[in-house]
Amino acid sequence: MRIQKNQFSLFLTGCFLLVGSVLFIPKANAQDDLLSMLEEEQSKDPIYTLATFKATRLINGQTIETISKNHLNFWISHRFGAVNSGFLANFFGLDEARIRLGLEYGLTDKWLIGAGRSSQEKTYDLYTKYKLLRQSDRFPITLTGMAGWGINTMESGYVMESGSVMKFSNNLERYTYWGQAFIGRKFNEKLSLQLVPTLVHYNKVEDPSISNDQWALGIGGRYKLTKRFTLSGEYYYAVTDPIAYEVSTRNPYPYHNSFSIGVDIETGGHVFQLHFTNSRGMIEKQFVGQTVGSWENADIFYGFNISRTFSFEKGAKNKDK
Amino acid sequence: MKNLIRILVFLTAFQVNEALGQTLYGTSTGEVKIYSDTPLETIEALNQKVGCLVNPATMDLAVQMKITDFVFPNKLMQEHFNENYMESEKYPTANFKGKIKEQIDFKVPGTYPVTAVGSMTIHGVTKPFTVKGNLVSSGNSLKIDFKFLVKPEEYKVEIPSLVITKIAEEIEVTGNISLQERKTN
Repeated sequence: MRIQKNQFSLFLTGCFLLVGSVLFIPKANAQDDLLSMLEEEQSKDPIYTLATFKATRLINGQTIETISKNHLNFWISHRFGAVNSGFLANFFGLDEARIRLGLEYGLTDKWLIGAGRSSQEKTYDLYTKYKLLRQSDRFPITLTGMAGWGINTMESGYVMESGSVMKFSNNLERYTYWGQAFIGRKFNEKLSLQLVPTLVHYNKVEDPSISNDQWALGIGGRYKLTKRFTLSGEYYYAVTDPIAYEVSTRNPYPYHNSFSIGVDIETGGHVFQLHFTNSRGMIEKQFVGQTVGSWENADIFYGFNISRTFSFEKGAKNKDK
Repeated sequence: MKNLIRILVFLTAFQVNEALGQTLYGTSTGEVKIYSDTPLETIEALNQKVGCLVNPATMDLAVQMKITDFVFPNKLMQEHFNENYMESEKYPTANFKGKIKEQIDFKVPGTYPVTAVGSMTIHGVTKPFTVKGNLVSSGNSLKIDFKFLVKPEEYKVEIPSLVITKIAEEIEVTGNISLQERKTN
């Protein structure tokens, strides 16, 4: 057996010399060897997945993305009136708009803080988001956590969109807290999906039959049509108890799950997101648990988000390309 | 067929062993800078994780870097560079392999002008390329400096008309690589 092996390798060596001298393979291979040695050295570091989503927001909800260190995002978001609100009466909703202005800043490449103000229920919000795990060629998902807080500054006794009257007896009752985990994966260049387990805690709810803790599961995704044009969609399923509400108030449960579809258009330093949604609120406490519109009734709101990124990193003379 | 595969495997193994048995100069922390300048915008990015190996016996040379290791001061730019232009998930590395034309004994300290002839791969496109540079030897370490221009268009890197005035037609590539002697085996 051993002799046979030796003979075989002798035969192979012969072949090699023959092939090599004819085709000059040794010369070409020597460089390839150096390259493959480099390849081996460099493959020790994982390659992290970039740009799972275009921005830190998908439509209403956020994404797994954070912004880079010393970068500032300015968000301008509008949700117009319902498209079914008539031409003369409301110019298909464009006569009125809910606005949210927001800023977010990257403390590190993984950690951002943000603040915003919505005209919907005159609400201020603060939030922080941290990227815990990153998808790479060795790890399948990205995991990001978010915690947020909002304060409703409407006058006590105002009428909510649902028709209920909301009275606050102290400031604490105006607070809402929310926490979300974003589990996202970029499946390929075009397709990215994320799951978003969500908990919103309302310090005060409009009726005792509604739980102060609103659990929900969001699913969102994007599909890139071209390098700069992306389709996106988002659905938040809220765990609710409509029957308890109906028994308690004798009114139908006013809230629906939030569903939005849209497109992202990217132009260097800006991302434009145009969409249709049944939620008018742009922060978690509003669209997860208090979406009054429903697609079945054509309560659809046209809206857009515009994000502008500024870099405060040293050496960044210009803000975009 | 089976034998042919065996031969090829053997052949590759033999070649690797040959390379391993020799003294090489190498690094994994070489620096390559890319620079684009137009009246509208100056763009600069630095990669400090460039791998390079030189075989002094054959004067063979290989340089490889990951596209994602290029650091831009503006991270949005970095994202666009990777996602829209270089498509770094599809083409994660750029490299050059070739041979230094001059015969130099690296054991003799000195400064030598060098010319490397070979092929460059960027964005999955391989083209013959010649790089001129300077090599400084101090016996057990080498320093290689080079500078050349490269046209993104030639490597099928698409630049949309929207930003065409902001990105130079030719990108300046500067390299600064210090290599240490390595005795493999």
